[in-house]
Amino acid sequence: MLGFLIENNVVCHAVEAMVFASIACSILGVIISRMNLSSIGFTMSHAAFAGAAIGMFLDIRAQIAAIFFSLGVAALIGPVNDKAKMAADATLGVLFAMSMAVAIFLISYLQCTGRGLTAGNLLFGNVVSLYREEIYALAAVSALTIIFVLVFFKEISAIMFNMKIAEASGVRVKLIYYILLFIVAISVSLTINIVGGLLIFVLLVTPASIASQFCFNVKSMFVVAPLVALSVSAFGVWAGFKFALPIAPLVALLLTGVFAVSVILSFKRRINYRKD
Amino acid sequence: MGIIELDKIYTAYEGGDKPVIRGLSLSVNPGEYVVIGGPNSAGKTTLLESINGLIRITHGSATVCGLDLLRSGNEVRRKVGYVVQNFYFDPFTPFTVEQVVMMGRYGRLGLLRRPSKSDFKAAQKAMRLVGIEDLAEKTIGTLSGGQQQKTMIAHNIAKEPEVMMLDEPFSNLDFHAREYLQGIFKEIVRSRTPILMVSHAFDGLPNTRIHLVVMNKGQITYDDECDAEEVEPIIRKECAVD
Repeated sequence: MLGFLIENNVVCHAVEAMVFASIACSILGVIISRMNLSSIGFTMSHAAFAGAAIGMFLDIRAQIAAIFFSLGVAALIGPVNDKAKMAADATLGVLFAMSMAVAIFLISYLQCTGRGLTAGNLLFGNVVSLYREEIYALAAVSALTIIFVLVFFKEISAIMFNMKIAEASGVRVKLIYYILLFIVAISVSLTINIVGGLLIFVLLVTPASIASQFCFNVKSMFVVAPLVALSVSAFGVWAGFKFALPIAPLVALLLTGVFAVSVILSFKRRINYRKD
Repeated sequence: MGIIELDKIYTAYEGGDKPVIRGLSLSVNPGEYVVIGGPNSAGKTTLLESINGLIRITHGSATVCGLDLLRSGNEVRRKVGYVVQNFYFDPFTPFTVEQVVMMGRYGRLGLLRRPSKSDFKAAQKAMRLVGIEDLAEKTIGTLSGGQQQKTMIAHNIAKEPEVMMLDEPFSNLDFHAREYLQGIFKEIVRSRTPILMVSHAFDGLPNTRIHLVVMNKGQITYDDECDAEEVEPIIRKECAVD
């Protein structure tokens, strides 16, 4: 897709993957950060991790297993929240621990039986050896995320403002919440072996946090967060190839650096010392 | 038949050892100004949240705006305005007053429909009515408690509800704002939209007949019409406070 700009096929695929992952994750990040659901990225990336381990245990394709297991976990979050009447973060913590336990149990078991399994790719990703189909899948997830926000913008903004007030107004809160969880699950499980669990969490949380330092309304956050994420990611891929550095951790560090600068420069917390 | 018909309803919170509302019946007609009084933990807020389906009714039957509440909770919420008692908006909440007031229309608009000119007009009218049009561009988290409360009232007026419910709407407001808003509520009632108000502040009630409901331990102990100046003495008597 970006072949006309970048000649090297490997670099081109890596940039495309990072750009699409950045768009999807940062847009979803604006919503989940506002809803105090940031740990959903952590939980879903570990669910995908557990799913991949199950796939390897059952000798089926790891990514397909990751998608199905993540969707299963996403489907559990809402009902468990409703049923147990717990804070969303507590539910996410329980499901994170379960996913992590499943993953570690299976990895240990596979290693004991002589079937080696490395968790490195799932934690840090591998943007260097990508199939074209994986890039198309990421592009589709980005498009799905953008369409979700455009179609349900008024419901999403009402829920981001206050869930109880939105529900009292007659907004279909549960429906939108469940669709959101479903899209997060698909995005995370498709991107995990490309950018890795660490960078997914960074992409979900940091661009939205950077945007919140400067934006006074939610519309501009939905524009600024993906722009920041894709600019930093594209630069990170270029710098990673140029200086032979690991790409995913580099992008994570660059985004954290931009966040630190944005906190220092933010004018939203400025105190007005004028006397009139 | 009233616009709200509750027949021997029971409601309970999950995990609660007994129902909060027990065998409660209530009928509210269009154009009534209903004041709900009673001591703390009498079930006043629970009653309002049962009427708009936020809390499940376990026994009995309920009809609101002609809809069976047990089957059509969301449809009821699209027609009923509800100003909640407790809210907190952090200073960096990325929503302006104008956007928050507009959100009052989102439920009745339904999924996939974009706000039209008439929706924006209704939001503008609500802000003008409540006197917050000069705050339209301000983010809600930077406002005072009273201004936030007015914004939430405007949010529900913009909805053009068939029933308006208010839970402690004056808790953050000064005397002037209370009297001003009471005037608005009186106009709402005059347009045949009933108001159900939970409050402990009875000064400035409109000079109309009040439908007074006094609750105690999840049940109604007084349900009758009275004049505005009789409200506080009746509640004091019913709650044995003197």
